[in-house]
Amino acid sequence: MIRQFTLISMVLATTVSAQWLNYPTPGIPRLPDGKPNLAAPAPKAADGKPDLSGVWTINYRPYSSNIANDLKPGDVQPWTEALTKQRQQNLGKDDPSTVGCLPFGPRVNFAAVTAPLKIVQTPTLIVILSEDLTYRQIFLDGRDLPADPNPDFMGYSIGHWEGDTLVVATAGYNDRTWLDYAGHPHTESLRTIEQFHRRDFGHLEIAETFEDPKAYAHPWTVKVTGDLMRDSDLLEYVCNENEKDSAHLVGKASDVRSVEVAPEILARYAGAYAGTRGGRPTRFEVYASGRELLFSRDGSARQPLTPVSKTKFVTFSGVQLEFVEENGEIVALQYYGAGFGGPLPRVREGR
Amino acid sequence: MTRRLLFMLTAIGTTVGAQWLNYPTPGIPRTADGKPNLTAPAPRTSDGKPDLTGLWTGFGGIGDLKLDDAQPWARALIQQRTDNFGKDNPRYLCLPEGPTAANAAEAFRRILQTPAIIAILDNDLTYRQIFMDGRKLEADPSPSWMGYSVGRWDGDTLVVESAGFNDRTWLARNFPHTESLRMTERYRRTDFGHLEIEATLQDSGAYSRPWTFRVSAQLAADTEMVDMRCDPSEQGRQHWTGTRSDAQKSGVRVAPEILAKYVGVYKGVWARRPRVVEMTLSGDTLFVSIGGGEPERLVPQSETLFSGMLGYTFIRNDQGMATDVVEMHASGNYTLHREK
Repeated sequence: MIRQFTLISMVLATTVSAQWLNYPTPGIPRLPDGKPNLAAPAPKAADGKPDLSGVWTINYRPYSSNIANDLKPGDVQPWTEALTKQRQQNLGKDDPSTVGCLPFGPRVNFAAVTAPLKIVQTPTLIVILSEDLTYRQIFLDGRDLPADPNPDFMGYSIGHWEGDTLVVATAGYNDRTWLDYAGHPHTESLRTIEQFHRRDFGHLEIAETFEDPKAYAHPWTVKVTGDLMRDSDLLEYVCNENEKDSAHLVGKASDVRSVEVAPEILARYAGAYAGTRGGRPTRFEVYASGRELLFSRDGSARQPLTPVSKTKFVTFSGVQLEFVEENGEIVALQYYGAGFGGPLPRVREGR
Repeated sequence: MTRRLLFMLTAIGTTVGAQWLNYPTPGIPRTADGKPNLTAPAPRTSDGKPDLTGLWTGFGGIGDLKLDDAQPWARALIQQRTDNFGKDNPRYLCLPEGPTAANAAEAFRRILQTPAIIAILDNDLTYRQIFMDGRKLEADPSPSWMGYSVGRWDGDTLVVESAGFNDRTWLARNFPHTESLRMTERYRRTDFGHLEIEATLQDSGAYSRPWTFRVSAQLAADTEMVDMRCDPSEQGRQHWTGTRSDAQKSGVRVAPEILAKYVGVYKGVWARRPRVVEMTLSGDTLFVSIGGGEPERLVPQSETLFSGMLGYTFIRNDQGMATDVVEMHASGNYTLHREK
């Protein structure tokens, strides 16, 4: 029943030994010891605007798994919440992009994207290339957004500069894509406004505002940062090239055979667990609340854990966590995920 | 028997009424009456190179590559694919077109040129990157769908070398290729509105000699690219059954004097583009030629229904003279009116 992470497993399957992954990126300012100087000033294009060109990896957490992380329950319309819950109940097997291999739509805008993106900038057109071979075009030639756009996966984007900030408005998305892994839907009324500011050579600040009055009570803004990816490049990722997973994506979250775990046992698991996951630092906070155990990953909203044994728990998206006991003490949180599994040692900070 | 062109089905399914289709392209030199002046000089970038940036249409071709140039295994594979109406073409599974992206005559492609990188955006929502920063192709590239490309300027000609394609995509006309495929493209923007492309391909794993084709792409002025994304969930493919040999077996004989009344040129619109189809008679067999291409034999399934790569139904007047022909694609039927 816990067979997800199709995206992750497929990505991993195709990453081995691609081209130019160790090719030094030309034009990067370097320190005397040859290391990239990422705090150097942001480069300028020939027209004097900041040049955003480059490959960027986004610090996407927590928004890739929950774009509505900062929203309160009433900010999400009831049908939106019900549909999101239903998608989670199905463990994301209807995900149109990771399972259905359709374009990611607004989910590859910077706020929620988990894979690197390449920006290619010219004065009148900016193109954003994605590893799944899709792209976005942002027109800066003065055209307006179409009044009644024909819905499309990537929408229609226009941009302009406000000082050193690029402002991109997008409309005309179709409603077939999700906004995140949690399954938050959007309608064809969705409009996004992205603001890009290259703070220095190595860092990009992104604020994305989502406005979809048919699904959410009011617009909200998500802020993330991007790091320049040096001396490497995008890796081609074609979801549909050997897709055999969807047939195995069966079961529902409610199939998880839940057991009752005594509150005093749950209380022992409360605390912080930190380590690296997929090469990035990560931190889990675990909270016990009566008969319920909750967790928060990297500051994201708390989510309940479903106990399947005294020590094993399942997240809403079906990921297994296991608390590891040694000499009568809880010492680590074992995380099970394709390619990302591993123990996260407990943080001792006297709590 | 006439249920193919799924790609076109999915493509057409999403093409209707996209945006900015009538937006005047900024920066185009215009004649006094406001029309794009496509014979104005080619633009240049600030570094003095010709600027290939723009929306282009009219690629396509496989050149003079013949069945006889194919090694026996490749020849057998081409014949098998052709008999199956090409239904296993990975493009119908919504996989990337690979090096054949250069071949789609109907396609629009946008070239975006910067000094360090040139991006080529295809209207199936895939892209190619051409690195201009002086890097060399790697000797043993990991095979990929779109391959790896490096470019350099030879005078006013952009020369692009590509390698590292996987062997899963098909060239035009059902021709296969192996991972040994290498491609050299030469791009020259002869004036504002025209881009001459010469492509030389070689694949020692499948063909006995290199082959070259030349195409002339035109600037698509005052319009916009339409996203023709293929949808893998489309279920059309399961209905795509039958082989050419089946159609052959179910063929009937139609008298040449009836066929003679179908001979002519038919015009209409398909995929937003003008389409010209010519019917000719040779002996007692009807042939179809699409857009001046190689004539293809049609097998009669009835007095008015014919089968080739596509299906054709003739509409006749009281005298049995064809007035129209309905070309049957998986995406639907397209009526072409007889012009002569």
